[in-house]
Amino acid sequence: MSLGSTLTSHAATSATSPDKKLPGDLAMWFFILAELTVFAILFISFAVARQLNPDIFIAGQQTLHPIAVIINTLALICSSYLVVLAVNSINRNDSDKARNALLCALALALIYVVTKGWEYQQLLALDYGITTNTFYMLYFFITFFHFMHVLLGMVILGSIALKAHGKGYVVDKQGDQSVSGFEAGASYWHMVDLVWIILFPLIYIVT
Amino acid sequence: MKHIILQRIAISLLVALTLISAALGWYFRHSEWLSQPWLIGLVWLSVMLKGQQITDVFMELSQAPKLWRGLLLSYVTVVPSILCLIYWL
Repeated sequence: MSLGSTLTSHAATSATSPDKKLPGDLAMWFFILAELTVFAILFISFAVARQLNPDIFIAGQQTLHPIAVIINTLALICSSYLVVLAVNSINRNDSDKARNALLCALALALIYVVTKGWEYQQLLALDYGITTNTFYMLYFFITFFHFMHVLLGMVILGSIALKAHGKGYVVDKQGDQSVSGFEAGASYWHMVDLVWIILFPLIYIVT
Repeated sequence: MKHIILQRIAISLLVALTLISAALGWYFRHSEWLSQPWLIGLVWLSVMLKGQQITDVFMELSQAPKLWRGLLLSYVTVVPSILCLIYWL
């Protein structure tokens, strides 16, 4: 049996089991797995390139702003927690609290976007660009690729916040849920956070 | 109620480990101390712990089918291990 059919059958089994439930849509989890695989290849490429050119990479790391990365990391972690709180609220049928938590998560994501943009602008002002050397090529490629995922995540969070505002998610008394879209959006945002957790020491901390 | 406590523990752990890693990186950024193999191992171990918290608590995969939980947990274990190994070699 192929991995795909095994995963699908497990998810189908989980749909009937009250104990083991995969949050959100199955398609989103396949998408998350695919995204994580791409990032894993990029991380390994960065680490191998770093071992081949340690001097270039250490010099490059010294030019990165340490405070900006802490702000970015804390912003993403805290926004992920706010999304967790939003999921708790929607499961209690409290759409207003869920929407407010998502809006706070979006505000933190915006802090990440602004800080990252400022970081790019600082590097470009010092004439460091994608063509400077291998470090900057991989740095800009990996972090910008992640940046695009943050932007997509913000669109997803915004759309589920809008639907929550219109009371579009309901958990009825029988326990039947129509919140799988909400959970899928939340899972995507946690994936963005998970990727940053690995990216953070790889690019900024370990020299 | 139990899951709310676990979520609070997870966010506290994530913030604390991030601040410790960042402080180490900032304090020793101009020295070779951060190239010590055991310290690199410790940093990647903290990444695994953070990944496990996000996977099990934030993504709620501790209540998901074993295969899906296993896939995500193996990702947060195997990828940092490979990176650690590359840095070590």
